[in-house]
Amino acid sequence: MNRLLAALLATGAIGAGFAPVPSAPDGAVPARGSGDGHEDAAARVRAVPPDTVQRTRVDPNAVVEEYCTRCHNERRRTGNLVLEGFDLANGARMRPVVEKMIRKLRAGMMPPAGVRRPEPAVIAETAAVLEAEMDRIAAEAPDPGRRTFQRLNRAEYASAVRDLLGLDVDVAAFLPLDTKSANFDNIADVQMPSATVMEGYLRAAGHVSRLALGDPEAEPASTIYRIPRVASQKDRAEGAPLGTRGGLSVVHTFPADGKYVFHVMPYAAVEGEVFGRTFGAEQIEVSIDGTRVALLTIDRWMSEAEPTGLNVRTDSIHVTAGPKRVSVAFLRQFEGEVDDLIRPIDHTLADGQIGIGLGVTTQQHLQRVTILGPFAVTGVSATPMRKTIFSCRPTSPLEERPCAREIVGALAAKAYRRPVADADVDGLLSFYDQGAALGGFERGVRTALQAILASPHFLFRFERMPASEASAGAYPLSGPELASRLSFFLWGSPPDEELAEAGATGALTDSAALAAHARRMIADPRSRALASRFAAQWLRLQDLDKVHPDALSYPYFDQTLADAMHRETEEFFAHLVEADRPAGELLAADYTFVNERLARHYGISGVTGHEFRRVPYPTGQRRGILGHGSVLTLTSHPDRTSPVLRGKWVLEVLLGAPPPPPPPDIPAFEETAAAEEGRFLTVRERMEEHRANPQCQSCHDVIDPLGLALENFDVTGAWRTRDGGNPVDPAGVMYDGTELASARDLRDALLGLSDVYYQTFAQNLMAYALGRRIEYYDMPAVRRITREAEAGGYRMSAFLLGVVESQAFRMARSGALTEDDPESGLEAGSH
Amino acid sequence: MKIISGKHLSRRAMLKGTGAAIGLPLLDAMVPAGRLWAATTNGRAADRTRLICIEQVHGAAGCNDWGASQNLWAPAATGRDFDLSPTSLRSLEPFRDYLTIVSDTDARMADAYAPSEIGGDHFRTSAVFLTQARPKQTEGSDVRVGTSMDQLYVQRFGKDTPIPSLQLSIENVDQAGGCAYGYACVYTDTISWASPTEPLPMIRDPRAVFEQLFGAGGTPEQRAERLVTDRSILDWVMDEMASLRRQLDPADARRLDQYADNIRELEQRIQRIEAQNSGGEERRIPEAPVGVPDSFEEHVKLMFDLQVLAFRSDTTRVFSLKLGRDASPRVYPESGVDTPFHAASHHGGREERVRAFAKINDYHVSMVPYLMKKLQEADEGEGTLLDKTMIVYGSAMADSNLHNHTRCPLFLAGGANGALEGGQHVRAQPGTPMANVMLSLLHKLGADDIEKFGNSTGHFAI
Repeated sequence: MNRLLAALLATGAIGAGFAPVPSAPDGAVPARGSGDGHEDAAARVRAVPPDTVQRTRVDPNAVVEEYCTRCHNERRRTGNLVLEGFDLANGARMRPVVEKMIRKLRAGMMPPAGVRRPEPAVIAETAAVLEAEMDRIAAEAPDPGRRTFQRLNRAEYASAVRDLLGLDVDVAAFLPLDTKSANFDNIADVQMPSATVMEGYLRAAGHVSRLALGDPEAEPASTIYRIPRVASQKDRAEGAPLGTRGGLSVVHTFPADGKYVFHVMPYAAVEGEVFGRTFGAEQIEVSIDGTRVALLTIDRWMSEAEPTGLNVRTDSIHVTAGPKRVSVAFLRQFEGEVDDLIRPIDHTLADGQIGIGLGVTTQQHLQRVTILGPFAVTGVSATPMRKTIFSCRPTSPLEERPCAREIVGALAAKAYRRPVADADVDGLLSFYDQGAALGGFERGVRTALQAILASPHFLFRFERMPASEASAGAYPLSGPELASRLSFFLWGSPPDEELAEAGATGALTDSAALAAHARRMIADPRSRALASRFAAQWLRLQDLDKVHPDALSYPYFDQTLADAMHRETEEFFAHLVEADRPAGELLAADYTFVNERLARHYGISGVTGHEFRRVPYPTGQRRGILGHGSVLTLTSHPDRTSPVLRGKWVLEVLLGAPPPPPPPDIPAFEETAAAEEGRFLTVRERMEEHRANPQCQSCHDVIDPLGLALENFDVTGAWRTRDGGNPVDPAGVMYDGTELASARDLRDALLGLSDVYYQTFAQNLMAYALGRRIEYYDMPAVRRITREAEAGGYRMSAFLLGVVESQAFRMARSGALTEDDPESGLEAGSH
Repeated sequence: MKIISGKHLSRRAMLKGTGAAIGLPLLDAMVPAGRLWAATTNGRAADRTRLICIEQVHGAAGCNDWGASQNLWAPAATGRDFDLSPTSLRSLEPFRDYLTIVSDTDARMADAYAPSEIGGDHFRTSAVFLTQARPKQTEGSDVRVGTSMDQLYVQRFGKDTPIPSLQLSIENVDQAGGCAYGYACVYTDTISWASPTEPLPMIRDPRAVFEQLFGAGGTPEQRAERLVTDRSILDWVMDEMASLRRQLDPADARRLDQYADNIRELEQRIQRIEAQNSGGEERRIPEAPVGVPDSFEEHVKLMFDLQVLAFRSDTTRVFSLKLGRDASPRVYPESGVDTPFHAASHHGGREERVRAFAKINDYHVSMVPYLMKKLQEADEGEGTLLDKTMIVYGSAMADSNLHNHTRCPLFLAGGANGALEGGQHVRAQPGTPMANVMLSLLHKLGADDIEKFGNSTGHFAI
């Protein structure tokens, strides 16, 4: 703070040596092409060749000297940065720093509020000159960047198995959690090798191959499905038969034809009795593919204390192999609310205690379902997986090996995402032989499939160096490699036949063909992965699981609502991609996607049922993702909103400019008085007290107003006009001086920072597409993608295609051997 | 909805309710049928100390000035006559003869040593706990800290068991915000490092732990067949990798070599399991646990059950366990405090809030007696497993509010085959590195060729 004051006091007249230009229509856009020359102006910009900066009249070195070095000098080293003696002529050596400067200038963050700043036009021009120089340097020595090979992560593994075999597999039981970097789970260099990971893949291969072919030798095993305590069981679960409530509905893959037993267990109240026993008798229906196979009565006087516990089981039921929809749900006995003297609570298990008393919502809740079997296996019937795998059927022993060769060859080509050579198939057939010797044809095919699933060609996405390349050159990817990049980017899964074909024939090396394929894939429903994988991670939707709003203050919040919020954001993003909407709609859309539950939460009428559908927002209160329950909840604490977390989210996610870490020993928010003179203080008032500490103020002046603008949304994203009984005041001043009176102003301000906002979007998209963090040398490409997208109104396709067409996507560079050589360097910490 | 598959489950398991502390009673029977592993020839030949290292993340309430004055972590008296009642360790009272409290050691390698490192404590401290080395600030694969003490032990003595060691965690690691400020996520994801550059992923799903320990398959014949198939697949994978390697650039080839090393280790594991299985003893294979429980307590206890089980069957002798994450918003209602963990940890030095955080510490420590009881119940002939186990429990953070790393929480438990006398509280001289304690422990474990560990300055008399 003192620093800032000092800088403020030092304010003088704008230094001589440059004159700000009035903003030309395209004044803020970095000069790219040729135009009318201003030789004298350009001459001052020493490093920059005249033809790239004709319209520039600022000398960036002078601007930096004048405005930046008061803090960024040798003595103060503010932000660990020294800009004394900054000379863009040395730009090639300072690219990481210059790129950071550009981001801060474009976001309006530097110079900070309260110190002397040049005219906005000068800031824009300075940023433009820096950008032009960075772009020029990059154009002289293009660097597509490099990453090591990627390993299929959990999500990619699951979708690869689904594509290959038509089988849904629960990967969580086999593979360790993916390590994230830059908020994405597919960043190659942090996928560290370990025996645990390889063991997981090996175990998964054994399991998946058995499940895919069915296992006539399957031994009884149990699969347990749990329902979270905070899931609502008042209404029908999606997929369950009409006339039921609660419970669950899942697709379960039965390994063989045989007898299975279904165990169900209701939730218990605190002393071990059935939760909701006061309500009366309840029946649970077990159905397979919509047909009732059992009806169980829950004995309301059961207790965990009894020897039999709360367990109820069916008789053994014959089920044939393959994936079936299993629903286990209560029979619905009436429509409408259950009597509740307190208030209707959707997840009536919010507190197990209330299940005991009369007069509160107490319905039985299913806790878990266990499918146990098979017993008395009779064989393996036709399943969709078997139809996919067995493209031929041997009718005589002589036909067995040729048929196996056909099957294994086809599976391997698809699994390896490239044409397979005879040698590939020969190696796999040795596993066929090994299995066939033990258990015949099917066992042989299964063993070969197991090997395919454990193969490095399946698990890793190698990008091979052409034999002709020297060790450090850039080279184009091969057709199949490019096809894989494309499909994992746009679909989150391996290439389909058409794309694989184009990859194999080399057609993808043609730009037009590549773009045509990308367009086809974006139009395909599988591009939904961009929402469920890319957007969900970029927007941090997984963090919704971390926030459990206080059950007493927000009794309506449950897993069902949280899931709907997550789904809303995904549906919305998927729509932007599918309809090729402008990326600005992410913030500005006056519509969203809701189902009944979420519509009720937002106060939107006329929406019934589980289906998500597009609805216009009835008022101007909400727009875009900053009005989504998901974003607003995941940036809250359980018991109060957090302007800090919300502001930080905006800075990190939307502006790509994360604030520095807080110092230790910060006075906690809870330290502030919650009430004063007999009234509760609002979160805002408490924040202001918190911020009175000058040590905190300089950062929180940047962070908090962004979050405070969203104060009209409570912990669960519901609209509110009062907080703790007092009116909500969302007003504030953004770090660049913009007045923010509401969430709407925040949206407008962010959209006004279009360079930063769109570049941040492009940057995240690119990181996800490339499987590596975006480095300074990628920023020229990010700017190019953004500029070209601007021409078409920033449509989603322009960003997606821009990434696909970039050099970084289509090329690779060989890594220097010493780059991350574990043998070099000293062991940290041992001295 | 969680979907968890398991191997076949007994009727008893199905009938069991989900009280808070169920554990896995059915796992008790999981030793070689007929007689105890430790009583077999192989077992007796190498009855090395079992090691369990547990990280209680983010310090303790008793490690700030006021908390220390109230003895919220360590008792006031040193020596044998200490009073645990005010401390977070009071639940260990029944095992005080097996308890060695080491208070006031420092983990200074978790301090910031460069301006860019200031404020990054949450994202490097876990990596410091068992390495006592300074994590390199990087977001890439060039992570570097030190070899952790559990792995130094494994590298010397872990080759006798099918699985050298296992790493377990309780909290999910795939959420954003778990790592930031220039530190790779892996520093917060694991506490075990096979080398300064090789972090070992931690497993959260008890069932995955189980299958690693005992393999898949219902009968001995099925298991044996599967092991043969797995091994031949791994052989072939090695060949495939060797031919692939020639087509890769040098950096990728090196990474592939690391994978090849992993595959080789897996092959060896399988060979050792095969050898153990064909040793003449028909081993009864336990029934699989059923995925990640909802409750912290249930999850931790299940993980403890699995550790005891692994020790009893001598499948591995070394575990590390990470109980949480610094920045976790998890609420531990059973602790009696409903403030989220991280918010509670930043208690501002205010007395009632320090006490509230201490309750969460109490709760975390109170998991340990369960483990000790289970170990004690495992009679190994010449003593119980508790007599043969060394438990290291602590944190490289001290005052969670200030993010400092001096006077960190640490205690040792178990008899460690006579290496730990127990029943004492040792207070370190100010400025003593925690590394000194760990170096001495390594020597007690038999790794007496190690002269320096992390930032150790010498030995520590325990």
